[in-house]
This record gives sequence, C-alpha cells and structure tokens, in this order.
Amino acid sequence: MKNGFAVFFAVLVALGGSWLGFVVAPAIQLGKAKQAIILNTTDTWPLQRTGEATLGLQIYRANGCATCHTEQIRQDGVAAEVTLTSLGKSKPEDLKAFLQSLFVLPELAKLTNNLAATLKDWKGDLPATLLTTGDKTVADAFADRLKAAGAKSETRVVATGADLPRWGVRRSVAADYLYDFPVQLGSLRVGPDLADVGARLPDANWQLLHLYAPKLSVTNSAMPSFKFLFDVRQKINGETSPDALNLPPGFAPAAGYEVVPKLEAKELVAYLLSLRADAPLYEAPFSPITSAKP
Amino acid sequence: MSEDPSSCPAPNNAEPTATRSAAPMWIVVTTLTLLFLGFVFFDKHSGWFDAKIYAPYSSAEQLEAFQPISGAAAAAAQGKKVYEAVCGICHGADGMGKPGQAPPLAGSEWVLAKGVNRLAHIPLAGVSGTLSVEGKEWNLNMAAMGAALPDADLAAVLTYMRTAWGNKAGEVTADDIKKIRAEMKGTQPMSGDQLKTMPE
Repeated sequence: MKNGFAVFFAVLVALGGSWLGFVVAPAIQLGKAKQAIILNTTDTWPLQRTGEATLGLQIYRANGCATCHTEQIRQDGVAAEVTLTSLGKSKPEDLKAFLQSLFVLPELAKLTNNLAATLKDWKGDLPATLLTTGDKTVADAFADRLKAAGAKSETRVVATGADLPRWGVRRSVAADYLYDFPVQLGSLRVGPDLADVGARLPDANWQLLHLYAPKLSVTNSAMPSFKFLFDVRQKINGETSPDALNLPPGFAPAAGYEVVPKLEAKELVAYLLSLRADAPLYEAPFSPITSAKP
Repeated sequence: MSEDPSSCPAPNNAEPTATRSAAPMWIVVTTLTLLFLGFVFFDKHSGWFDAKIYAPYSSAEQLEAFQPISGAAAAAAQGKKVYEAVCGICHGADGMGKPGQAPPLAGSEWVLAKGVNRLAHIPLAGVSGTLSVEGKEWNLNMAAMGAALPDADLAAVLTYMRTAWGNKAGEVTADDIKKIRAEMKGTQPMSGDQLKTMPE
C-alpha cells in the first residue's frame, strides 16, 4: 500500500484524539470527584445513601424507570434579585424619587425601563423585589445605592431556566451523582424529571400510592401501574396491616383484602426520596430562602 | 498535405500521477484565523475545563461573583474589602506590615487584645509617637484612617483583622464602635503609652 505510514498515522491521530477527548479529559476533570461543600456551611454534599435506597437504585434500574424519567435539571441562566427589606428613615415617596434619579446612571441605563415598570406599581409595601438582572455587578451597584440612601436590601441569587423552579431549585452537578452506580441520567421525559423528587414530593405514602395506581393522584399520568411491586392479600383476622395502602373506592381491592408494598416497592421509594438537588453548592449557587415572610 | 509521422505525439497511455504543490495562501490564512477565533471563544466561555464551572457560568470570576453571602460571611467579605482599600496599603494584604512604616497586625497584641477599646481608638484617633508591637518599638505617625468609616464598616474591618492571617479573637460589632465613638474624649492622635492608660 502506498502512503501506508500516513494512513496509519491519520487513524492513530483520529482514534487517539477521541480517546483523549472522551476518556482521558473527563477522567482528569471529574475522575477524582469528591463530596462538595454546602455553601456557607461545613456540611458535605451529597450524603451516602442508606442501604435500602442503594438497593432501590437497582430496582429503579431493573424496571427501566430511566427510559421515561430523567435525573438531570438544566439551567439556562442566573439572575440576581435585589429585594428592598427596610426603608430606613426615608418615606416611600422619597425613596421612589431617589430611585428615579438613579435612572440616568450609565450602569443602570439598560435597566431603566425595567425599574420604572416596577416602581410604577410600588406603593411602599415591603419586601419588594425592585430589580432582577443577570449582571451581578449591576445588582451590587444598585444595592450599594440603596444602602447609601439608608434603605436595607437583600440580594438573592436565583437560577433560571425552563426546568427551574419546576423540577428543582438549581441545576444538577457531578457531585449529585457521586453515589449512583450506574448513573441513570435518562434522555427522554415522558414523565417528570426526578433529580429533585425527594425534595418535591417527600411523602413516602404518596409515592407508594403513585406506584400502585398512577392515575389515582395524577389523572392523566402515562405511567404504567407497578402493581407487581405490591401484594394483594387477605386481611388477617379482618385487621388491616400498618403498611397497607389506604386506597379509595375504585382502586381498592375486594372486601377483606388489602394491598401491601413488597420490599422492592419500599426500596424503590427509599431511593426516590434520596434523590435531591436542593442544597446550594459553590458550583451551582443560589440563595436559599431561609426565612419565609408572611 | 503530408506530415512527418515522427512528429506525432506519443500515445498517452502513462498512469496519471499526483504531484506535490503548495496549498493556496487563502486556505492557510482562513484556517489560522478560524483557529485563532476558536481559541478566543474557548478562552472566553470554557472556564478552562474547570470541574467546578458549569453552564451558564463561563469563567471562575463570574461564578465567584454569584456566590450568595449573608450574615457573618457577608461581614467578613465587607471587612476584607475595606481592609484592602484602606488599611492594606500600609499594613499589607497579608497583615505583615512594612518595615519602618507600619507594624504587623498578624499576631499583634493590640489586635488580639481581649477588649476592643484600645484597638478601636487607633483608627478612630490615629497614632503619633512610639508604640511597641511584639516587643519591637515603632515610631509612628498614623492618621485617623477609620474616623470617616461607618460603624458597620469599621466593625467589619476590625473583625477581619482579628480573624484573618491566623489571628483568633472575638468579633467587633457596630454597637461596640458606636459606644466607643460616643465615649471618645478627643480625636488627637495618641502614643502607645497614652493608649495604654485606657481600658482594654
């Protein structure tokens, strides 16, 4: 063959390049991934799963849940929200006039319309979110002006995107999957994303009912019933077991019978409840709402 | 019309051959330009493959800017900011001071004192004359650098001094500063001996 060495070299470069890009580079980047630290604390993230939840991961895998469910929350952007919490000594009208005088500042010029619209409806009620911007320096500059005017404000960091806050409060990061083996990211959302399901739907009983009869709680659910993870058995001496599901008529078995979750169902639910993506991390920051205001 | 048969071209049945020739200049220039633009884009958006940088963040600075801080962490950040703008010019960003100009703050008994009264008087009134730090005499002339700072900022910067560079001492609150300011007798710069006449 003519140019045999050149062909060999070209193939080597092509295969070696993809091996470096797809295998070596990710291994260098994330191969030694460790637990992350939750922001402003010394706690680590995530926690090791309980034995029950670890077994549940295999039930999730065996039943092909990842065919229709994803475990990844995507984030398109990030915004800083400046919320006015206290007026200090000034009256609402004075502060409003002061804020309107800021519109000429070059760093706030782009936000003038935004701010004007917010201020138009603002009658001095607190707390009021005055500014939402994707530029943190602008938000900080605005907060500094508020501080100079004697008012107090809080700047919150909010993750934004189509998945947020519908499926979670922040994006998924590598640390979230530290104890998943195998990692079941999924690629199709026939059902909802489950990356944060443990925080969204923390009721184990709801999860069991939903597995047994999906249409019970979600009328238009496309999920098949996972009845085979439950036992339908005769009540012993007419007494209901503590584990038995509390099913409404239409879903309940015949009189004298009860529906009891098998071990697999309990493990699967333990796994689902262990799926959380609700701690603020350095790599995916957001401001948790620590005090809910009435 | 007759032709010399010997002048006929030889039948061309030789194999065509490819020969080497230089690539056109425009291809080389376009490739290099695209490569350059690609690297500029990479530099701007990749975060240099840092495992901590995920979309939508494109650089470590941007990620750092969006870290939410509140409470004690916010005060520490403010203290550092004020320190670097006001105090760090002479005392150094590492708190080690400058020989012949400003004494060190790291490990200094003035900074680590139990009470903050004497410490707060230094930025509020200034220092003039001799003052010993860790057994070394300094002849100082420091203006009242902290007199114009708001109570909260001065408290934050003193707290920063007392907790940074291995220092371990209690925090200073804005109320402490307010009280010390109200009780201050004069604003004349003091020497070390004069400072020592005051309660800690």
